[in-house]
Amino acid sequence: MPQWLRVSIVIGIAALVVVLMLSFRRDPHDIRTGTVNKPAAAFTADRLDGTGTLSLSDYAGKVVVLNFFASWCPPCKEENPALVRVWERYRTSDVVFIGIVYQDATDKARAYVTANGVTWPTIRDDDGRVAFAYGVFGPPETYFIGPDGIIAGRHIGPIDEATLVASIDKLRAQASR
Amino acid sequence: MTRERALILVALLAILGALAWTAWPHETTAAERVDRITSELRCVTCQGLSVKDSPAASARQMRDLVVQRVAEGRTDEEIRGEFRASYGDWVLLSPPASSWTGLIWLVPLVALAAGLAVVIGRMRAPVPSTAAPSPRELAALRERVAREEALDLPQPDGAE
Amino acid sequence: MTLSFADLGTGALRAALPLAIWGIGAAAYAAAKRDGRALASARWSALITFLLVVLAALAMVGALVTHDFSIAYVARNNALETPLFFTVVSLWAALEGSILLWTAILAGATAYVAWRGTPALPRLATTALAVLFAMLAFFLLLVTTPAADPFVRSEIVPLDGNGPNPLLQNHPLMALHPPLLYLGYVLFSVPFAYAIASLILGEGGDRWLVATRRFALVSWALLGVGIVAGSWWSYAVLGWGGYWAWDPVENAAIMPWLVATAYLHSVMVEEKRRLLRSWNLSLVIAAFALTILGTFLTRSGVVNSVHAFTQSAIGPLLLGYLVAIVVLSVGLLLWRLPTLRDTGAVGSPLSREAIFLFQNVVFVAATLTVLLGTLYPLIAEALSGAQLSIGRPYFDRVEVPLALALLFLMGIGPQLPWHGASRATLERQFSAPIVAAAGGALLAVATGLGAAFAVLTYALAAFVAATVVQEFARGIRARRALHGESAGTAFANLLRRSGRRYGGYVVHLGIVLVAVAVATSQSKTIEVERTVRAGDHFEAAGYSVAFGGLRSVSEPQRDLLVADLRVTGNGADEQLRPALLFFPNATQAVGSPGIAAGLHDDVYTILVAYDTNARSWATIRVLVIPLVSWLWLGGGVVGLGAVIAALPQPKRREVMRRLVEAPATVGD
Repeated sequence: MPQWLRVSIVIGIAALVVVLMLSFRRDPHDIRTGTVNKPAAAFTADRLDGTGTLSLSDYAGKVVVLNFFASWCPPCKEENPALVRVWERYRTSDVVFIGIVYQDATDKARAYVTANGVTWPTIRDDDGRVAFAYGVFGPPETYFIGPDGIIAGRHIGPIDEATLVASIDKLRAQASR
Repeated sequence: MTRERALILVALLAILGALAWTAWPHETTAAERVDRITSELRCVTCQGLSVKDSPAASARQMRDLVVQRVAEGRTDEEIRGEFRASYGDWVLLSPPASSWTGLIWLVPLVALAAGLAVVIGRMRAPVPSTAAPSPRELAALRERVAREEALDLPQPDGAE
Repeated sequence: MTLSFADLGTGALRAALPLAIWGIGAAAYAAAKRDGRALASARWSALITFLLVVLAALAMVGALVTHDFSIAYVARNNALETPLFFTVVSLWAALEGSILLWTAILAGATAYVAWRGTPALPRLATTALAVLFAMLAFFLLLVTTPAADPFVRSEIVPLDGNGPNPLLQNHPLMALHPPLLYLGYVLFSVPFAYAIASLILGEGGDRWLVATRRFALVSWALLGVGIVAGSWWSYAVLGWGGYWAWDPVENAAIMPWLVATAYLHSVMVEEKRRLLRSWNLSLVIAAFALTILGTFLTRSGVVNSVHAFTQSAIGPLLLGYLVAIVVLSVGLLLWRLPTLRDTGAVGSPLSREAIFLFQNVVFVAATLTVLLGTLYPLIAEALSGAQLSIGRPYFDRVEVPLALALLFLMGIGPQLPWHGASRATLERQFSAPIVAAAGGALLAVATGLGAAFAVLTYALAAFVAATVVQEFARGIRARRALHGESAGTAFANLLRRSGRRYGGYVVHLGIVLVAVAVATSQSKTIEVERTVRAGDHFEAAGYSVAFGGLRSVSEPQRDLLVADLRVTGNGADEQLRPALLFFPNATQAVGSPGIAAGLHDDVYTILVAYDTNARSWATIRVLVIPLVSWLWLGGGVVGLGAVIAALPQPKRREVMRRLVEAPATVGD
């Protein structure tokens, strides 16, 4: 076997091992690519309670928190109390929460909303287009849109009160500057 | 030309003909376009299945979106680009050949080329065999042959 | 005093570990000093270790069957309603249990080598035994530490367990696929251990290879059949209609198999022409390292896949083991390289050994492609943070041409004599097969296969089949002329007395069946999806599918929503029941397909969606997949061929034993 081949094989194996060792640090379920720092996709969708439609443009200039959820999703139930508390805190200001139903039956979603005290506006995304536009992998996912209409951040998985408050405050501070 | 050679020639021509037939250009239907695009998009809620293969709800919705975009006349690149904008390169099951990730397409070619180079190189430069066997080695060889002959076995895999 | 299963299992494993460590020393000493007592001690260590590990495995089965939820593994993978069959099978349903199974098989192989291997080749086999003990000690370490200890207690003992993963309680193939796969993986440790022993002792000869030839063949066959069983399971359970998705774990299994196939062939070159010594050693090391890499990829949580084992401390340990193995073996190989000179060269490119070499190059290229394709996302992310995917479109496009090249080489290799052939010989040998190839190509066109790769597959499949038939015909003719046997007896004798060669041909025929199955099912599958109400029916590729309605079925461990379908047409009339399965602890339903399997077509039905409010409609997807059954048949034929090739021939056994026992002489 020629020398060059021998050396390249040894180097190749060493490189492989280094890569495998580095890959321990990452979580294969954390896909970071997405729509963060890009303009939030506009949408118009039917409200879950059947009282007409809702458009993202209705809330231009406000801090918008988009929360994708589903009735069959246990972590959504987990995070809901935090959402309720933060919503109560900010609902009278320039912050709006919008809940978007992900892959769910309307009646089940309505039952979930009633049972869990979801009082912010919720909409249906029956064809999944809104979820695709934002790059949703599965519920629960939360997106933070600044007053400038840019997606400032995204949280995959159940969100906690501290993260919610921190992200919202940061965006409100940006707005007032 | 011998009969065998003629047969071989005709047979090869038939095979080439069959291959040419498959390469005959035909209009790609919309359904074929959708199939092609969806087979290259990754289902976002599955474990690596393509949108085409997956029966999951999100995959079917993605497929509906692709069908709509194809009907609107968008190009393959535009449709893929729409999903790439939302999900990043991760959603493409086959890395685009243009970026540096496209290097992966070279791997099989390089591996084959390197291997063939080594093999053909060895064929051209035969290693001279060692010196003739010593009398002791010859005697051992003879004994071995005698043993095998005594058992009357066919030679392993060759002399048949 | 009551002995719980956990105590029994933990005790057995904890006792086995020091025995295995002792075995390393005893075997090494016995090999170095040719000490009979040390060897006896090593042998008994091996046997007792094996019995202890088997005891631990049985203890786990006992714990599962008695639903002993005080053991965390049982609580996670078993529930009161789990049927007995799947309860027993969940021994290998998850990480710790499967490592336990692996350890048991490895202990068995070690005991086998200790008792059957050492008498034949004292020094070589005893050194190999030491290597095996070292590997066994590592795995025993894994199962006695929190990394993979199956008998870890539950923090709180639940009243009922989680039950196995829903996907793993669907199909009886769960009983076959993992054990076959592990047998294939683990039995490859034996040729590897012998190879390392040969390097340590600096033998420079072929004895290690000859002694482990059958082990390599058997483990290759078990791995291959295990992979086909896994494909079949994937097809019948996962409900997407396919059988291979280039999932990282699928790739992890096929890589060692590809290298092992290359190895089986180049071994013949070494036996026949005394060439490729260092290459064969590299192949064995690579195949074994790939089995460990495969286990690592499956279990470390580093890649996301269908098998999705959770991350645990076992990842870094397996990686460390892999690195140690690779560094030590490559180091030994490089050290002994001067003693492994070939005598002679390959010569003509139209010789059997040259074809085997080309075949090896293609197999290695195919393996490298799969390896780099599987790891590329990891590499790209480690280097640039970019996250990308490499899936079917890449692998299919790259591997199919390589597979076609292999089919071609498979046709010409066995027909060419060793040392080379003249052009006239070639023309005579190949005229009929090439005509058959043309027939195959035309058949492909006639049956509507519009893809170039499918036409080529049919052509090459016909080519290979014709060469095999030709070889059998020649063999039968020769035996009839020499021994006056009838055709039937001659055929049987070819398989019995020249089993290696003709069993190999049977294996090739099996591969041909698989190739045709893959080409046909990939090119001509027809898919129809319809939303229907009760009483509706629709057409799919000549079959009529009638939807009878949805109904709920309650089973102890799961609820089903079944779609009643009746499929008629083309002589078939079957009731199919694709369903959605709801398990108590899963958030989303798991799809279960309804399959009408046939020798020609499979009608594959999936319940995709349904009216959640009133159950008045359902969306049914129907796939008509031609010739997919030939895949499983082909796998069976490959296994059969391997059995024929592995069976010991009566008189040869005696001669081989004596030849192998003889002290190293010429050429060794």
